[in-house]
Amino acid sequence: MLYGLVDANAFYVSCERSFQPRLEDKPVIVLSNRDGCIVARSDEVKALGIKMSKPLFEYKELIEANNVQVFSSNYALYADMSRRLMSTLTHFVDDVEVYSVDEAFILADGYEGIYPSVRGLGESIRQTVAQWLRIPVSVGFGPTKTLAKVANKLAKKQPELAGVCVLDTQEAIDQALDQFPVGDLWGVGGRYTGMLKGNGVETAAQLRDLPDDWIRQFMTVNGLRLVHELRGTPCKMLELSQPAKKSICAEPGFGTLVADLETLTDALTSHLSRCSEKLRKQDSLCGAVTVYLKTNKFRKTPGNGLPAKHYYKSITVELPHPTNSTPDLLKYAVSGLKAIFAFGYNYQKIGVMLTDLVPFDYRQKGVFVDGPNEKMLQLFTVVDRLNRRYGQDKLRLASQQYNPDWPMKQKYLSPRYTTRWEDILEAK
Amino acid sequence: MIEPEDRIALQDVFRARVQRKYAIPFLMDYVQAGFPSPAENYIERVLSLDDLCIYHPEATYFIRVGSDSMIGDRIDRGDFLLWDAYYCSPEVTHGKIVVVQLGEDFAVKRINYVDSNQLILESSNPKYLPIYVNKGDKFKVCGRVTFAFQKLI
Repeated sequence: MLYGLVDANAFYVSCERSFQPRLEDKPVIVLSNRDGCIVARSDEVKALGIKMSKPLFEYKELIEANNVQVFSSNYALYADMSRRLMSTLTHFVDDVEVYSVDEAFILADGYEGIYPSVRGLGESIRQTVAQWLRIPVSVGFGPTKTLAKVANKLAKKQPELAGVCVLDTQEAIDQALDQFPVGDLWGVGGRYTGMLKGNGVETAAQLRDLPDDWIRQFMTVNGLRLVHELRGTPCKMLELSQPAKKSICAEPGFGTLVADLETLTDALTSHLSRCSEKLRKQDSLCGAVTVYLKTNKFRKTPGNGLPAKHYYKSITVELPHPTNSTPDLLKYAVSGLKAIFAFGYNYQKIGVMLTDLVPFDYRQKGVFVDGPNEKMLQLFTVVDRLNRRYGQDKLRLASQQYNPDWPMKQKYLSPRYTTRWEDILEAK
Repeated sequence: MIEPEDRIALQDVFRARVQRKYAIPFLMDYVQAGFPSPAENYIERVLSLDDLCIYHPEATYFIRVGSDSMIGDRIDRGDFLLWDAYYCSPEVTHGKIVVVQLGEDFAVKRINYVDSNQLILESSNPKYLPIYVNKGDKFKVCGRVTFAFQKLI
């Protein structure tokens, strides 16, 4: 078995550069939804010491001094480029698992006749994506998905590998794991890194050589799976058809702090519309809505500089029957919000989460309640279709209209080069 | 390889469904009351410009023409061009109309490779002088122009 992981380097930044040659070799940052915080950085920005997930204003001086180019996230563009990337990969291999917007696992077995070497396969993927999409990708190969992920990290980190790293011999794997920090492994994360370091485990090789019983005891069966993968036994298979998501949530932060119920309800409506659209897209219904509300944990009281009082509360409302129609869901979400809203706080975030998802075909009438309103279910598939055609939120609930500039605060949005006629490239 | 407890749980198994998307069939005949037309058995798919114009969907992009420099090739300001990044190498672009990245801009020109150190970008309007590109200049061939669309009304 040989798995490959193809991962785009700083994907959002690369998408912007793909259509704006002036950005090459310049420091570039892409911001999250509503221009909240930094979600993608070019190498030049990393070199300046600007960290991920921090709000933009923290680096105001640094950004101005170095003429860093700032962009709002242009999801229409990124989604199209992602689709192009994944589709390009199917020209090389039959089995492609889209793992995220910018990474995909491939199964690289059985192409010996077409590609003389695995490295050659990696190089032609890189070269083709660079030519067709004008974005750089790194390719890592290994006998398991976890090792392919390790190989990919090395391909990115070590310039002499020229973007392709193949771990296909035991020596190569051993050598790679000897120096690989345990915290960078796929699925280890902050929770286990501390625990492992406390036990003297610093590298991936040390983790691999721990006894199974110990791993199972401290890191559950998932940890054991990871260790087996490090030893070269595949435990994670390629997931070729995406399983439906088990929950859907949205909690973009406000650009400013919000104190009144009216604005919160409005934001909740926006988030919920987005979530229920996603729900309908994957043909599911949800059985419960969770709403949560929080203030900024790190906020200081203006004036005295003492930490402000923090408020966090969530509530889960179970629905009488699973549904995906926005007004139905909204009714329950708003009553949930009213139950947890406390006056006198400046809220930073309101989040909504849809859980207990079941497939669309699964609709059961309860003994005492009717099933979901079939007409509503149908109505919203039509609403989605119209919105896809005429633009987001063209057709929306009236309560969503309260604040017309609510949905997006995107000051630095680049043109949608591939999805809008008025935005396409222009030749001089 | 897969442990028994690792099997996919029943609640994670979903029924596959065809996406609810229909292409409008190309109507071959009028609908008649009474006997159905035998031609109805020959319903064809609707004609698609995508099928006609897009050879490599992943590598094909639009660009709008911003000048009259290619007017001699009947490419005018405001026209839409389709270009395909699949065709980039000197072998397939020599003497053809291409989209290039020149400095910080995109441009549409006819390309002629002189030798390994130099190439010429030619316009088809006498108002514009040819551009000489030398090795080391900030320059890239992005792809070949495959179709030109002109609005007539």
